[in-house]
Amino acid sequence: MSLVLEGFLNTVALTLLSFAGAVLVGSLVAVLRIVPVPLLRAVGAVYVEVWRNIPLLAWLVLFVFGLPEVGVKMPLFWTAFTAIALYEAAFVAEALRSGVNSVASGQGEAARALGLTVPQSLRHVVLPQASRRVVQPLANIAIALTMATALAGVVGVVDMTRAAQRINLELAQPLLVFTGVGLCYLVMAAGIGYGARVLERRFA
Amino acid sequence: MGRLLVAALLLFVAGCSGGESAVPGGGKIDALLTKAPVYAGQVTPGSAVDRIRKRGELLIGGSQDAPLLSQLDPVSGELTGFDAYLGKLLAQYVLGKPSTDLLTATSETREPLLANGTVDVIVQTYTITPQRAERVSFAGPYYRSGQSIAVPKGSTGITKPADLAGKTVIVGANTPGVKAVRDVAPTAEVLEFGSDPECLTALKQGRGDAYVQDQAILVADASKDADLRLVGEPFTEDLYGIGIKHGDAEFTKFVNDWLREIGKSGLWQEVWKQTIGTVVTGEAPAPPAIAS
Amino acid sequence: MFDAPGPRFRRRVLWTSVVSAAVLAGLVALGLRQFAAGGQLDADRWRPYLTWPIWRYLLEGLGSTVLAAGATGVLAAAGGLLLALRPNRFTRAYAEIMRTVPVLLLVYVMLFVLPSFGVNLPLFWKLVVPLALSHAASYAVIFRAGVESVEPGQREAGLSLGMPDGVVTRFVVLPQAVRHMTPLLVTQAVSLLKDTSLGYVVSYTELLFNGRVLANYNGLLIQTFLVVAFVYLVVNLALSWLARRLEASRARTAR
Repeated sequence: MSLVLEGFLNTVALTLLSFAGAVLVGSLVAVLRIVPVPLLRAVGAVYVEVWRNIPLLAWLVLFVFGLPEVGVKMPLFWTAFTAIALYEAAFVAEALRSGVNSVASGQGEAARALGLTVPQSLRHVVLPQASRRVVQPLANIAIALTMATALAGVVGVVDMTRAAQRINLELAQPLLVFTGVGLCYLVMAAGIGYGARVLERRFA
Repeated sequence: MGRLLVAALLLFVAGCSGGESAVPGGGKIDALLTKAPVYAGQVTPGSAVDRIRKRGELLIGGSQDAPLLSQLDPVSGELTGFDAYLGKLLAQYVLGKPSTDLLTATSETREPLLANGTVDVIVQTYTITPQRAERVSFAGPYYRSGQSIAVPKGSTGITKPADLAGKTVIVGANTPGVKAVRDVAPTAEVLEFGSDPECLTALKQGRGDAYVQDQAILVADASKDADLRLVGEPFTEDLYGIGIKHGDAEFTKFVNDWLREIGKSGLWQEVWKQTIGTVVTGEAPAPPAIAS
Repeated sequence: MFDAPGPRFRRRVLWTSVVSAAVLAGLVALGLRQFAAGGQLDADRWRPYLTWPIWRYLLEGLGSTVLAAGATGVLAAAGGLLLALRPNRFTRAYAEIMRTVPVLLLVYVMLFVLPSFGVNLPLFWKLVVPLALSHAASYAVIFRAGVESVEPGQREAGLSLGMPDGVVTRFVVLPQAVRHMTPLLVTQAVSLLKDTSLGYVVSYTELLFNGRVLANYNGLLIQTFLVVAFVYLVVNLALSWLARRLEASRARTAR
């Protein structure tokens, strides 16, 4: 039973931490994609294209076995965290960017016409409007990320799915075990959806 | 796929009839097939044997990525190893020709694959356990194996299974090793990876103190890698069976009769020599006694 | 939103570019050096990937990947269209539930639960059906958003010209909707192609699974997965590029 708990806690921790990491890195990449420096824009674009066009499972295997070869040794949990956070960051960056772009350009121009500097107009006019619009996309990414953490089990992290498989190996009750795990994911996703709705109302 | 394998097989018949070839395992099956028995008895209409004969092909659930046991050679497209060759020989026994189609199974999919008739047999280091016997029928056992311990050369402190206590132990995901480690050293932390090279790489990168795996696979790894050392003899006994649809007593008896026959004729030992025997030194062991 | 760049600003841009280029080059060089130090760049470890049989094997896997993705795409798009055209409580609930259930779980249902009810599909469909069920919900969301993105005035204008409803939908609303949807559809196609790597659960021999078998055979784990990742990258980039080209040519003919 402790195995179930360990797996569940690992999945929750991995989800929360990776999402925090993804938002952090994703914001950075989104800034890179918006700044008026061509090279940095290109770096941001390459980051997004490379990360989101390769399956997460391939990234996980490469990180777990590739990073030690370049001298970066981290515990498995943190390696999986890094890979998932960097992967989802590409999606976060795109969500943030399209959120900023969705604010009509007239809004920014109006703010500039009133004499606000670029940072000021971003802070007081564009970002407040954008943040409301990105809540739902970010919640979708968070839900997708929750599902994605199951892949960490493939590279050795004892997450909920891996724990379920270990138990199933002895009990041979796949229906029961996997339905239970599925319900756990469903509850987590529902929680994220609820949180997003609350946030959206706060921003409105 | 089956046709591809047969084609590859024919190529080998034509290409490397001159004994040992450069490709590991290549062409070995041909020599074995010449000695393989073919069933000549009665076939009950509607039985498993009848179905397989009408189809003209034996559907096997197995692996493509288990070195020495059932490993696909991506270059030649041929399946090599102990389990793979037994599958071919069983097809020869049923059909008079080695026509097989391999469906990759995993430990989660084996029982359903048999239950719904997607495959005729499972030949995949399928350890006979009482729990599994409630859901599938086992022919055999056809192989006696055991979990062994490997450590990086130069590491000390692990000389017997009990020493695994408190250590981080790498095992193959969904292999009998998971349970074996928990039984001998409940306090060991188990780290699972999906395949043998992943486990090996993880051991070398210091993610674990020891690697527990089927002895034959570890011996093969050690023969290729000078930095790997095996600790003592296997500490478990795993009996592998051929999985058959639950309750099909007739086909189970049929396969058991075949296993007895190749055990007696020495063909079983031949298969062992050509596969596991290429890395494990010494004479071929006696095949395990068939349960019923 | 930004002002036209003045000389001071341009200088700053130049400096930022130079500094970040130097930092990037340094990082790449460091990574490569570390990689080489571990022996991972040795020619011996890469030579197999210059041979045809290895590539033939990987491309076979890619073929299966594309086949599964194609079948899933067609089914999911058809299902999504059906869901989007009939927005009611059931279709909305379906889309909502599918969004929060891991595809992996659907695959497991296909593998373990349905056979006991006598529903037993071939391997290929055991991968494609759950993927399609899940992606249909995503397609429905995209289609609905696409149709809603067309201003109602467009439809009203068409109707006021005396066009029948179907004609308005086909020739006025859909072309504009499709143009709005294209980026999302491509993103969806890429995500679908990546999701076929779940084939390893049902033992469907797609690209990632073949990569694993190959790594097992030659022991070159890192090299194999780098090559496989590269193949995914190239295919998905080509997909995006193709979509952009299609969109551009359609935009030109529309004018």
